[in-house]
Amino acid sequence: MSHAAASTPPAPAPATAAGRPPSAAERPPSVAVRARDVLACEWTKFRAVRSTYWTLLVAVATPIGFSAFIAFALSSGPAKGPAPDPLLPGLLSLEYAVLAVSVLPVLTFSSEFSTGLIRTTFAAIPRRRVVLAAKAAVTGAVTLAAGEVVAFVSFFATQAVLHSHHQGVSLSHPGVPGAVLADGILLCVCALLGVALGAIIRHTAGGIAAAIAVIVLPSLTVVLPVPWNDRIGRFTLLEAARQVTALHPGTTSFAPAISLLVLLAWPAAALLAAALLITRRDT
Amino acid sequence: MIELDRVSKRFGPVTAVDDLSLVVRPGHVTGFLGPNGAGKTTTMKIILGLDAPTSGTALVGGRPYGTLVRPLRQVGALLDATALHGGRTAWVHLLSIAQSNGIGRRRVTEVLRLTGMEAVAHRRVSGYSLGMKQRLGIAAAMLGDPPVLMFDEPVNGLDTEGIGWIRVFFKELAAEGRTVLVSSHLMSEMAQTADHLVVIGRGQLLADLSTAELIARSAHHDVLVRSPRAAELAALIAARGATVTPQPDGALAVTGLAAADVGDEAAAHGIAVHALIPRQASLEQAYLDLTGESTDYRGADLASAADPASAADPASAADPASAAEGTPTR
Repeated sequence: MSHAAASTPPAPAPATAAGRPPSAAERPPSVAVRARDVLACEWTKFRAVRSTYWTLLVAVATPIGFSAFIAFALSSGPAKGPAPDPLLPGLLSLEYAVLAVSVLPVLTFSSEFSTGLIRTTFAAIPRRRVVLAAKAAVTGAVTLAAGEVVAFVSFFATQAVLHSHHQGVSLSHPGVPGAVLADGILLCVCALLGVALGAIIRHTAGGIAAAIAVIVLPSLTVVLPVPWNDRIGRFTLLEAARQVTALHPGTTSFAPAISLLVLLAWPAAALLAAALLITRRDT
Repeated sequence: MIELDRVSKRFGPVTAVDDLSLVVRPGHVTGFLGPNGAGKTTTMKIILGLDAPTSGTALVGGRPYGTLVRPLRQVGALLDATALHGGRTAWVHLLSIAQSNGIGRRRVTEVLRLTGMEAVAHRRVSGYSLGMKQRLGIAAAMLGDPPVLMFDEPVNGLDTEGIGWIRVFFKELAAEGRTVLVSSHLMSEMAQTADHLVVIGRGQLLADLSTAELIARSAHHDVLVRSPRAAELAALIAARGATVTPQPDGALAVTGLAAADVGDEAAAHGIAVHALIPRQASLEQAYLDLTGESTDYRGADLASAADPASAADPASAADPASAAEGTPTR
């Protein structure tokens, strides 16, 4: 039984630092080496937890299936007005993936705060903004990769459905590659927002609620009276994402380039707030 | 070496650490003692740069913790053994910490062996007992092979064998010239491990002295005698110049005469002796005397008599002074 082994340790023999010269004599490692170390640490933590894989599976599988379903629904519905944007199903389905993906990034911080593990982390890496940057980098990179996979697979699935109704577009169509690439950013944007909110709120439930609120609630501006629904709505995260990823962007909103800035400003602002707070608070 | 210079920490109206100055030197196991809520953990968190002091400075090896590059090679600390992600294994937990400070995998294996955790290294920590988590925490503290080590209540949850192991372990670390600061709220525990003691209460320094000094300071010892002819015996002993204090239960507390002499005296006069107990004022009692004024939370008088630490010790259990001192301080 492994318990037995744990309770009968060998005689203490920690004699490795005895008479060791003071480590001030060691040359301090370069910034690049230290950055690599911290990234390796966060990557190890990220990939060693089961929930990472479940969340990613949900975030990838759901929208791919969903996009084909939406495409089918859009194309087979009664035709009234202009045909819907052929890229819309891909984006709409990603908006559902956002909910799954909001959880994981929040947890990267909130789970450490709730268990107290954050003290071990900050004791190992006293420069707390480095921790924030490393967690954002690891989570951002993984969700960006996942997002692009979803975007392209969804695109092909959607167009396969739409083609059968003669509404599809091909990847070589002007503007399509950029829009599909931009689709893939959405998960990453929301993930970075989640990392920042986890660091700011420090509680899992609160952080997840805040992430969903920040991402979804502003969409309620559509119920505002015209023209305020568009004037305010164009600043919301999801509306900005729709502008960036649409093949035929709406005219009442910002141009896609401005909308891309709006989209990126959300996680940027949240990360900035997190960076300001993280060094000021006791743990 | 750990140096605190006039460190204070206030949380709103509560002063957790109050103008605390102290130097923890290498080569000793320094016991950091105080009642619950005395400010031990807060002080350790300030040393580690986790809490910012309201005023004052804390240095490790002459530098503020926050300025250390790869700090785990300078300072190893165990604050809370249960601060773990249950879904990770010990191996992953240690590896991630090691990686953050550029420490290799071989060292991870070494500290697992050092703490007797190799066999369970690849099991999820959610299934660990508190004692195993303590060992894992000690393993993490040892990763950087640091000259300064801090352990907050490391004995909690360890079995008897583990406690014996940890005492030897700490002493070896100190013998290697490291600075070892170990907190505890139990004097009895520290008396067997630490050779230097820092006692705080309500965030203030109450004592900073060697364990031997504290023992000397608290040195009052006597002999407890029980006899069916106590009154006669008391007269005989008093005649030899000793002081006899009758106890409420009929026993006699004798000072100024060794236990053997009391026994001889009784034998010489044919007086039966039912009990003859040499008593030494325990460190526990000396500690209670020190912190008596500063305990934030205390029970009614019964509590001190029922305290398992003092009950195990005949001196303090029999000493009514500890109960008499149990007057609430607020």
